[in-house]
Amino acid sequence: MATVWSGLGPAVTQAAGRGGRLIPRDVRTRFSSSDAEKRSGFAVAFERHADLQRQREAEIPDLGGRKVTAQKIDSFASLLRRSPLMQMGPTKDKIVIGKIFHIVGDDLYIDFGGKFHCVCRRPAVDGEKYQREVRVRLKLVDLELTSRFLGAKTDTTLLEAEAALLGLLDVKDTNQRD
Amino acid sequence: ENDLLLTDPLKHPDFFHISELFSLKDLFDARVHFGHKRGCRNRLMEPYLFGCRLDQDIIDLDQSILHLQQALNFTAHCAYRKGIILFVSRMRQFAHLIEQTAKECGEYAHTRYWQGGLLTNSHVQYGTGVRLPDLIIFLSTLNNIFEQHVAVRDAAKMNIPTVGIVDSNCNPSLITYPIPGNDDSPSAINLYCKLFKMTILRAKDKRRQMDLLYGIQKKLTK
Repeated sequence: MATVWSGLGPAVTQAAGRGGRLIPRDVRTRFSSSDAEKRSGFAVAFERHADLQRQREAEIPDLGGRKVTAQKIDSFASLLRRSPLMQMGPTKDKIVIGKIFHIVGDDLYIDFGGKFHCVCRRPAVDGEKYQREVRVRLKLVDLELTSRFLGAKTDTTLLEAEAALLGLLDVKDTNQRD
Repeated sequence: ENDLLLTDPLKHPDFFHISELFSLKDLFDARVHFGHKRGCRNRLMEPYLFGCRLDQDIIDLDQSILHLQQALNFTAHCAYRKGIILFVSRMRQFAHLIEQTAKECGEYAHTRYWQGGLLTNSHVQYGTGVRLPDLIIFLSTLNNIFEQHVAVRDAAKMNIPTVGIVDSNCNPSLITYPIPGNDDSPSAINLYCKLFKMTILRAKDKRRQMDLLYGIQKKLTK
């Protein structure tokens, strides 16, 4: 332990000199060594890190003694821009992962994160494996099925999305993506 | 003494700390900003929309947050003053959830077919001396045929203030405190139910506290 702290000596005292709150005063004086003029690699890095930390702390003002957590408050516009819906682009032929949340006989109600869910028929292959809370792969066609009929003022909406069921989600696929 | 109990909360802009209940991120994650397609848009919702992306309307959450805060503050004050709150919605997939929420708050819900004269003809339909709701909360202002729910118009006729979630295909004009937001996704409706329940319970607890406080004060002064 003595070897570690001896290399730190000047760095620690310099930090103390600049008003850093890193190490208490009594510890600082105990471990400051007079002979170590040249600093080892760790000491230089520690000093640089301490400077950066102090700069960042100086920028964020303390709110009544309580430290502000490093949590950026994003605006709605930036949250929206980075959301998967915007990044996806046109819906046609996009592959997404959905989760089955309801089953009525052969119909699977799948939610993939859009405004509406989609309803797909249970496929012939591996039919019994499609149960609630199972994740599946979908190829999207439309996010909301709407159409303007003759003589109508507004579109008629089916309150459903449309997608083609590609199959169960492979556990290997998700691991690779992570 | 009763006056202070009732008028003191009105002096604070956010007596019940409603702004702590939710954040922009919560609304965003619950998909509140999704609207319908451009063809379904109601012209009167255009000021509340952020824009239209590939034919899908996006609701402006900055405005929604302000509207939601005002609406929740109003429901809290109504619940504080022991008002009757009625939850109305004609969405069959969330009917059970809304009825559960109302039950847990100790308030009322009507998620079934709305007969014509429930508010306007209540003396005939229910008998004389019926107390009508003091606030009606719409979790969806449309009925099953995509027309405006009859209760919106009737509440306006009977001078009952309304709070309502208006989607991009709804008409917000008759609603006292409209909240522009998604009313079709389960995550959004779950969030709204949770927020309404929390505000009403908070307001009722506060009322109980204040009653005790003023009761003790009166005993001390006597």
